[in-house]
Amino acid sequence: MTGGWRALLRLLAVQGTWNYERMLGVGMGYAAEPLLEDLKTVDPVRHGEAVVRSAEFFNCNPNLAGLALGATARAEYEAVPGAQIVRLRTALCSPLGALGDELFWAGLVPALAGLALAAVVLGAGWWAVLGLLVAYNLVRTGTAVWALHTGFDAGMRVGTAISASWLPRAVARIGPVAGASVGFAIPLVATWYLRGFGWVGAIGSLAVAAVGASVSRWFGPSMTSVRFALLAMGLLLFFRWVGL
Amino acid sequence: MSELAPHTIVLLLLWGTVVALDLVSVPQAMLSRPLVVGTVAGWLAGDVESGLRVGAVLELFALDVLPIGAVRYPDYGPATVAAVALAAGAPWELGLGLSVGMALVLAVLGGWSLQAVRRWNALSIQHRAAALAAGESRAIRRLQYAGLLRDAARGALLTGLGLISAWALGRWAVPDRETAVGLTLVAIGAGLSAVAGGAVRSAGRGARLRWLVAGAVAGTLLAVLR
Repeated sequence: MTGGWRALLRLLAVQGTWNYERMLGVGMGYAAEPLLEDLKTVDPVRHGEAVVRSAEFFNCNPNLAGLALGATARAEYEAVPGAQIVRLRTALCSPLGALGDELFWAGLVPALAGLALAAVVLGAGWWAVLGLLVAYNLVRTGTAVWALHTGFDAGMRVGTAISASWLPRAVARIGPVAGASVGFAIPLVATWYLRGFGWVGAIGSLAVAAVGASVSRWFGPSMTSVRFALLAMGLLLFFRWVGL
Repeated sequence: MSELAPHTIVLLLLWGTVVALDLVSVPQAMLSRPLVVGTVAGWLAGDVESGLRVGAVLELFALDVLPIGAVRYPDYGPATVAAVALAAGAPWELGLGLSVGMALVLAVLGGWSLQAVRRWNALSIQHRAAALAAGESRAIRRLQYAGLLRDAARGALLTGLGLISAWALGRWAVPDRETAVGLTLVAIGAGLSAVAGGAVRSAGRGARLRWLVAGAVAGTLLAVLR
């Protein structure tokens, strides 16, 4: 695979031109450029068509975009009909989005953030933050390298390669870890903050938390946590202003 | 807000720009997590304790967000930089509430600005549709670099606005002690409500919920024993 490392570096910016029309499309085209370079000398016409296809609509979790990038680049070299390559890209959007979002945004990020918060409370300070960054980026970089190589090796059979890989199993396992990690952090963070305010302050703050949870459940998405916080702060300022 | 030296303000502005870029565009290395942003901003402003405290509360809010697909979500990076600039130099019990309140407003503004950049990117792609249809690699590269520049400019503007707001609030809107403590308690309570609500929603009714409860029990025991 020529241009693999450059493609990997460019994948870091795959969302650089994120928009509501092509979503990751242009970023994918930018990352595909080094991979398609050899095609320019072998078949210049095909190269032009491949560049057009590479920048068309695409969306998935950015950390797994390498799977689609590698697979479509391989398919271009194997002279697979263009319509089939477009269908492959479209077919990969949903599974790569769902797997990646579950693994990274709903799994690894809350798991590591929960652990980092608990470690900060337990006195790790800077090291907790550094640990969060190192652990996340090791997993993320390893996944990106694996994804690009697996995609390029598998070509049009990338779907089979994904189902046979570690990815679906990791997605199933990371959820409980994230749940336990965030659950572990919540009481520790609460005591870390509220210990210095005495019983009245702590009960008042926990009452705000309880009201927030109930209100969010009652009103659903129209009452986000940010809106609730701003509303509660506004009410407090109003009551203080009127002298309560 | 303590008086920040000009070079500190420049460094905070740069840091805010970097973390704004990190959220979506490049490199998505989790530099934009409020805990990370707050700690580094606290170090730059000479008050790591405030940075950690402000960053941890905003991290509770950020844990309620799933950045999936085209959804609009708050941008906590530049907001955390500004919040730490406001809280630095004062006891965290007094500075945290006001700075978190300001950060939440900035984070919402950040979410809107992200949407504006995405629309701008789409317009720019429409203008270069002919070049893209002709397979010009140069057009793709130019679009990509322009998109990154737009996001960097968005981050710098947002951080600048945040630092100006922090300076103005620190100068003209310092609340009395009781109000400041009240705001801090409300900010902590709302943060706890956000993280708990997000965790329960993500957990559903399966194994993740059981692990969430187990984790909460273990955390409570440790908190009591410490």
